[in-house]
Amino acid sequence: MRTLVALLGVLTLAGCGIQPSGVSDGGEAPTGLATGPTLYFVDASQHLVAQPRQGGRLGTIADAIALLLSGPGGTGKLHTEITAGEVTRTDVAISPGVIEVRLPLTVDDVTSLGIDQLVCTTLAVHIQSGGSRNVKVRLVFTLATPESDRLRTCPLIS
Amino acid sequence: MSWTLRPRGLRARLVVAFVLVTVAGATAAAWSSARSASTALVTSNQQRLTASTADQLAAITPELSYPPDQAALDRIRIAVGENTLVTFRGMQSADGAAGLVPGTLRTAVQEQRQMVAQRITAEGKPWLLIGTPIMTTAVNGSRTPSGIEVYSVRDLTAVEQEIDSLTRTAVATSALALLPAVFLALLAARSVLRPVRDLRDTARRLADGDLSARTAPQGADELAALTDTVNEMAASLQDSMVTMQRMQSDARRFAADVSHELRTPLSTLTAVVEVLAGTTAGMEPDARESAELAVTETERLVRLVEDLMEVSRFDAGTAGLRLEETNLADAVRDCLRARNWLDQVDLVAADNVVLRCDRRRLDVIVANLVGNAFRHGEPPVLVRISVTQEEAAVEVTDNGPGLSEMVLPHVFDRFYKADAARTRTPGSGLGLAIALENARLHSGDLTASNNAHGGARFTLLLPRGLEKL
Repeated sequence: MRTLVALLGVLTLAGCGIQPSGVSDGGEAPTGLATGPTLYFVDASQHLVAQPRQGGRLGTIADAIALLLSGPGGTGKLHTEITAGEVTRTDVAISPGVIEVRLPLTVDDVTSLGIDQLVCTTLAVHIQSGGSRNVKVRLVFTLATPESDRLRTCPLIS
Repeated sequence: MSWTLRPRGLRARLVVAFVLVTVAGATAAAWSSARSASTALVTSNQQRLTASTADQLAAITPELSYPPDQAALDRIRIAVGENTLVTFRGMQSADGAAGLVPGTLRTAVQEQRQMVAQRITAEGKPWLLIGTPIMTTAVNGSRTPSGIEVYSVRDLTAVEQEIDSLTRTAVATSALALLPAVFLALLAARSVLRPVRDLRDTARRLADGDLSARTAPQGADELAALTDTVNEMAASLQDSMVTMQRMQSDARRFAADVSHELRTPLSTLTAVVEVLAGTTAGMEPDARESAELAVTETERLVRLVEDLMEVSRFDAGTAGLRLEETNLADAVRDCLRARNWLDQVDLVAADNVVLRCDRRRLDVIVANLVGNAFRHGEPPVLVRISVTQEEAAVEVTDNGPGLSEMVLPHVFDRFYKADAARTRTPGSGLGLAIALENARLHSGDLTASNNAHGGARFTLLLPRGLEKL
């Protein structure tokens, strides 16, 4: 009987408060650090080529597309298949599975390689910020076109 | 708690056992639910805090310059909140309780390359430690540590207060179970104890001689079975008693009838023997001896039958007491004189001891006691009469060998012979039994004992206030 009472007392006391624990798994670590975004241009033999930029930080998808629209710059070995105007501002909306990018371009301003440039650059930034590799990208052009409804993937990032 | 105060009564034991079981059950249930609730609470809080830290870091990292400078580390620390430590190679940014982070957690962060969490108690408060490296991810998805590690210390006091209130509620719930438990235990005890009490009353009445006492069994439980058994026991006891009483009264009536039937032929026989005794003078010596033997034996037979009839009267309860004012010393002296014993007996008597008694029965008692003293003991025989406020005592002592330890308990038994070899004593074997019955008829007593120097002592005690009866 005395043992029973003691046991009950111990159990009751043990039930109170927060017990210290050992080190436990807390999930995946955050990511998103990078020396700069990765942009995609076209080389002389009409292949997509990654061009890592050293901007000091990864930045957003909109930042990366603004850089892409302003061209490869420099050496001249790479060129872009996108005919950009003055405006480089884009709207990016990320929903589960799909990244929607509203471009200041019409579908006539880009070739199919130009579309791949946009999609790959978008996906690269998304993945480097810790996003999933399996998302699709929808490019929305300023003038209504069936191309605005297509869900696209990057041929270099599977 | 002192266990020397262990409850004795069935009711108390039932109540204590019931309450203990109920409270133990309620406590166990409450404890278990409070425990799982608190575990869930801690786990969900831990997950929430960990996830929010991860979200805060993920939101800020794309904006950070890499490799970071001190300002970038400070930005991370501010974004995560207070009590945070951020390290990058040699640099660090810390504030608040960040010093609580133990080395083991830092090792775990560096080795596991993912978020880790640990609960500790420090400064009397519970804390949640969250540690994580910040990774860099390549375009192909491969992750490498950036070298930046973030440690955040979160106060869990609010969670603990919630758990404490949960525990208090659980204790209060257990305590609430106490009252109904006591009530139910009392109800159960009552339903058990009422038949037990009835049974006890019945047993008490049986013990007091009321053999018709019974208890009506209630229900069909073990107590009802016990009640049935007790009733059966009482019934068979009653039957046995009735049978025994009938046999006893049959035996008494038989003895009375036999002695009565013997009286008439015996009186004829006595008359014949008396005639025979008158003619012994002219007989041959052999014939005279036989005739004298016949006379003696016939007299003995007459006495035996008279004694038997007297005993029968006592047994039948028809022996009457004729009380009269009696001077005890005179009565005893008359008794001795009538039997010519005055010269052989020392009579020490307080004069003027007057009490109401049946003179004939007193005479029978004294004659029997003194006769026994002569027959079995040695002279001198002493008769002493003493008196107290309540009773008078007649004490008869002799100087013989006294009564042996074996004889003493049976000396008043009917037909008890002290010496088995000496069967043919002149007495009937009923004398002392009759004397005792006579003493009891007077509400007195007759006791046998031995003198200090040997010799038997019989003491007749007669109460003095019989007129009040």
